[in-house]
Amino acid sequence: MAKKKENEVGRKYKWTKENIIFDGIVWILLLVVFVLIAYPFYYIVLASFNEGYDFMRGGVYFFPRKFTLFNYVDLLSQSKWIKAFQVSFFRTITGTLLTVIATCFLSYVLSREELVFGKIYKFLVIFAMYVSGGLIPYYITLRNLHLLNTIWVYIIPSMLNLFFIMVGINFFAAIPVSLIESAKLDGASEFRVLFSIVRPVSTPFIATLSLFSAVNQWNAWLDSAYYVNGEGLRTIAYRMLTEVNQTLGATSTGGSMVTTSTAMTTQASAMVASMLPIMCVYPFLQKYFVQGIMIGAVKE
Amino acid sequence: MMGKGLQSTWRKFRKQWQLQIIALAGMTILFLFSYLPLFGIIIAFKNYSINMGFAGIFESEWVGLKWFREIFGFYRFGEILKNTLVLSILKLALSFPAPILLALLLSEMRCTWFKRLVQTVSYLPNFISWVLLYTIATAFLNTDTGIINEILVNLGLVNAPVPFLTSPDYFYGVSVFMAVWKNSGYWAIIFLAAIAGIDSQLYEAADIDGAGRLAKIWHITLPGIKASVITVLILSIGSLLGGGMGGSNFEQAYIFGNTFNNSASEILQTYSFKTGLSNGRFAYATAVDLIQSVISILLILISNWGAKKTTGEGIF
Repeated sequence: MAKKKENEVGRKYKWTKENIIFDGIVWILLLVVFVLIAYPFYYIVLASFNEGYDFMRGGVYFFPRKFTLFNYVDLLSQSKWIKAFQVSFFRTITGTLLTVIATCFLSYVLSREELVFGKIYKFLVIFAMYVSGGLIPYYITLRNLHLLNTIWVYIIPSMLNLFFIMVGINFFAAIPVSLIESAKLDGASEFRVLFSIVRPVSTPFIATLSLFSAVNQWNAWLDSAYYVNGEGLRTIAYRMLTEVNQTLGATSTGGSMVTTSTAMTTQASAMVASMLPIMCVYPFLQKYFVQGIMIGAVKE
Repeated sequence: MMGKGLQSTWRKFRKQWQLQIIALAGMTILFLFSYLPLFGIIIAFKNYSINMGFAGIFESEWVGLKWFREIFGFYRFGEILKNTLVLSILKLALSFPAPILLALLLSEMRCTWFKRLVQTVSYLPNFISWVLLYTIATAFLNTDTGIINEILVNLGLVNAPVPFLTSPDYFYGVSVFMAVWKNSGYWAIIFLAAIAGIDSQLYEAADIDGAGRLAKIWHITLPGIKASVITVLILSIGSLLGGGMGGSNFEQAYIFGNTFNNSASEILQTYSFKTGLSNGRFAYATAVDLIQSVISILLILISNWGAKKTTGEGIF
C-alpha cells in the first residue's frame, strides 16, 4: 500500500503498528470501492471501441483487442438512435429551462412574507408532495388533458419540482427584505426585482435545480414507453431499454448469438454517447449539488 | 368589520397583482397534475373504462369493494405482496448502512487526491438511469457474454453460467446490490458533511488520552453523526415501499424483471402498472395502487411515531 502518507494539517504521521494496519485496511477497502464502481464504466467504454465479433469471443478486459470506431459509425448510421438523441436533447433543454423558470418564479413568490393567501398556497404544495393519486389516475389525467402522444407530455407535467419549491422558499427567504423594498421604492417592478436582485444571488439553487431536472429529463424512459406511441417520440433511455431486452430475450431463449453480441458493442457505444452529456456537465456542477442536497437534507 | 377586513385584503391582493399572477399560474399547474389525479382514486370503487373521460370518473357506476375482493382472491397476491415487502426491507437494510460505512472510510483516508477521486466516482452512478445500469448489468451478468460468468466458468467455480438476471433465485440479491452500488456515494455526502461538522477538539482530546483510531470512530465520530443518521433513517422508512434510499423500487423491479424471474420481481406497483396500462384494466389497477398507498401511509405514520418516541422529533 502507498507508503507516502503526509499529514494534511502539519501534524507528523506516526508510523505506529496500529496506524499502518488501520490505514492499510482503509486503502484496500476504498480501492475495492473504486474498482467496483469505476471498472463497469470503463468496461463499457472498452466494449464500445472493440470490434463486435471479436468482443463476443470474450477475454477483453483492459484494452481493446481489435480497436475500431465502427460501433460509433454504426450507431450514427441508424436513424432510430439519431431520432432518439434528438428527442432526448429537446426534452432535456426545453424541460430544464421551463422547470427552472417555473420553479424559481413560484418559490420566490411564495417566499415573500406579504403575499396574500401565501399560507394556503404553501400548504397546497406541501400536501401535494406527500399525497399523490398514483400512476393510473395520473395517466387518466394526462389522457384527458390531451397530452398523450405529444412531446409536451415530457415537459409540462414536470414543470414544477415540488421538492425544489420548498428548498427555494427557504433559499429566497434569506434575501433581506430591505433590499427588495428599496428597489421597489425606486420604481422597479416585481419582475425587475426578480431579475436584477434575486437572480444573481441564486446561482447555487439554480445550478442544483438545473442539474437535477436535466438528469431526470435525460434519464426518463417510463413516460416514453407509455405516454407516447409511434417511434418518432421515443427517448434515448427507452430505446436503450428495448435494445437490451431484445438481447436478453434472445440469449436466454438461445436465440441468435451473432446478432446479439454485435449489438452488444453498438449498445455500448450508445451507452457511452448517452452518458457523455451527464459526464460533461457534472464536474462543473458538483460543488453546487453537494450544497444543494445539503439544503434539502437539513430542511426535510 | 368583516367587510372591511375583506376589503383591505382585496386591496392588498390587487396591489401585488404581479406576484399573484405567478402564484395563481403555479397553482393551476399544481391543480392539473397533482390534484386532478387525486379525484381519479375513486375509480378504485367504480366500474370505469378509459373511454369515459373525466366525467366518467364521477358518473360511472359504484361497485363497492369488487376490485379489492378480486385482488385479495388473486392466487398470486401473496407472492406479489411478499416481493414488495421483502425487496423494500432488504434494500433498506443494506442501502442504509453502506453510505455510512463509505463516509467513515472516506473520512479516514488521509491521501486527499485519492479521497476526492473515490468520492467523485462514487456518486456518479446516482446520475445514471436504471436503464443504463441495467445495460451494464447485462454486460457483466449475462449468461453467455457476461464477464462475471466468463470468469466463473473459466476458473471452474461453476459448471454452467449462472442466470443472474433470468432466475427468480437471484433477483433480490442482484437488485439490492445494484441499489447499494447506485446510491451509496450520493448518501455518503450527507454523512461526510456531518462528520466534517464534528468539533476537532474532541479528537485532539482523545489523542491526548491515547485513544486508538477505532475507539475514536466509535466514541466520537458515530455519536457525532447520530442526528443525521436518525433523520435519514426516518426518511427512508417513510418512503420504504417507494424504494427509500435505494432509488425507485418500481423502476428497478420493472426494468430488472422479466418473464423468467417474474415470481420474484413482480411487486404491487409493477403489477398495477401492467394490468392498468398494458391490459387496460384501469379501475382494478387503481385499486392495487391504493393498497400500496395505504401500506405506505401506515409506514410513514409508524416511523413518525417511532421517531417521536425515540428522538422527540418527528417528520411532521
